[in-house]
Amino acid sequence: MADPIIRLVNLHKSFGSLVVLDGVSFDIPTGETTAIIGPSGTGKSVLIKHIVGLLEPDEGQVWVGDVDMATANEKRKYEVRRRFGMLFQDGALFDSMTAGENVAFPLRYHTKLNEKQRREKAEEMMELVELPGVYDRPTSALSGGQRKRVGLARAIVLEPEIILFDEPNSGLDPLTSDTIDELIGKMKRQLGITFIVITHDIVSCVNIADHIVMLNGGKLIEHSPTQSFIRSENPFVRSFLRRNVDLDALKPL
Amino acid sequence: MRMFVTIGQFALFCVAVTRATLTHRPPVAASLQAAYEIGIRSLPILVIISTFVGTNLALQGYNAFKPLGGQSLVGMFVALAGVREMAPIMVAAMVAAKAGTEMASQIAVMRIQEQIDALEVMAVNPYWYLVTPRFAGILLVLPALTIISVFTLLLSSYSVSVFQLGLNGDEFLSHIQQTMSMMDFVFTSVKSIAFGAIICMVSCFYGFYSSPGATGVGAATNASVVVSAVLCSSLNYVLSELLYG
Ligand SMILES: Nc1ncnc2c1ncn2[C@@H]1O[C@H](COP(=O)(O)OP(=O)(O)O)[C@@H](O)[C@H]1O
Ligand SMILES: [Mg+2]
Repeated sequence: MADPIIRLVNLHKSFGSLVVLDGVSFDIPTGETTAIIGPSGTGKSVLIKHIVGLLEPDEGQVWVGDVDMATANEKRKYEVRRRFGMLFQDGALFDSMTAGENVAFPLRYHTKLNEKQRREKAEEMMELVELPGVYDRPTSALSGGQRKRVGLARAIVLEPEIILFDEPNSGLDPLTSDTIDELIGKMKRQLGITFIVITHDIVSCVNIADHIVMLNGGKLIEHSPTQSFIRSENPFVRSFLRRNVDLDALKPL
Repeated sequence: MRMFVTIGQFALFCVAVTRATLTHRPPVAASLQAAYEIGIRSLPILVIISTFVGTNLALQGYNAFKPLGGQSLVGMFVALAGVREMAPIMVAAMVAAKAGTEMASQIAVMRIQEQIDALEVMAVNPYWYLVTPRFAGILLVLPALTIISVFTLLLSSYSVSVFQLGLNGDEFLSHIQQTMSMMDFVFTSVKSIAFGAIICMVSCFYGFYSSPGATGVGAATNASVVVSAVLCSSLNYVLSELLYG
């Protein structure tokens, strides 16, 4: 396993009396893809929000390189965030802008490109996620899958080192879903990007992930390389896999 | 108890906005855009309401002074009640109702759709991006709206006094002139700037701390206008005491 770029140490997080993370620790290796799976409402989104410093743990550390996001000041957090791109579960697009302006948005604040260059770059990214020709469309006129892909293009436009995807495949048709999986594979190989992907889709998980982390009830249930994960003896993993997919389809590709 | 927590949160929010505003470059274009939108949105209703407040001040002033034989003092009454007191708080109420609620609901929607989180992750300070331009915009435009309201109100009360009540127009104007000075415009502007600051910070605060769902947005919008109105009207009393007392 490559050196970890992110290390989560004994994370605890509760909202009022609701315990969401109850002592979660694991490492995320540089340049590889880690998938996080688990039933909905387990705290997968909460977990990755800790990684980018949107939430602070009640206890524990969130190391990104040598910065602990749990205790870093605002300035440090913003510096670290420049290394991340993130796709939110529902896209989190800005409604006041067109699809393309959303993609170009980070360029406006973090590059010296002029307006024309920003547009070109954004259009290039939108082609990459197979969404050409919708630059000027208002976000309200996009379908769910299109919104997701705009969010994806926005997440990668600054070519970040680490990309967090919160359910990139949910609500997408299988073809688009495959496209996104391929895109992740391509970016990982060509650019050495570290991916952290939350997904419900076991097939996609096996396609893209080097490691799979399974959460349930605030605890880490299993963390192993993909091929050992699908052969795991852990009863919870077995039942999760069985419920989600025909296991034969998961034989090594 | 809840109230103290909210006040504490509000104080921290104000600190965060101030810090973000001072450490980033001023968002000039966005502020002008915000000023334009706040102005355009609030202007029609403001002109209409100012007109009819003016007409009624003239009527009531006339009714009040007539038994004493002082109907020519209507101009003075309008200047005191209308210009010094009614116009600033009326503008504040209208702007809180139109622009303030819009700020609260826009920001609340951004909060619950994770757009504010997205800003943070894209390393764009959301206080600077969302609050600073609105704050600058409202401070730019509120004194202007108040002056417009003052003149609308004077014009309509003048018209009623002269054309309906048959008072002497020159006398009306000279009473206005005697009662009002340049300082009234300065004080009125001071008030409106204070109200603008309150409306903006309160509305953006409720938006930022909106709870999830459509009910969250509704509650944030509602709270923003109620709290702005209460704070502005009580501050209006304090300011009048300080400035005119
Ligand atoms: N900001 C918050 N305040 C209160 N509760 C929250 C907050 N964020 C998430 N939760 C709760 O934490 C739990 C885990 O949520 P989440 O991480 O979104 O689940 P998922 O694994 O489906 O992504 C849910 O019960 C959710 O309601
Ligand atoms: Mg989630």
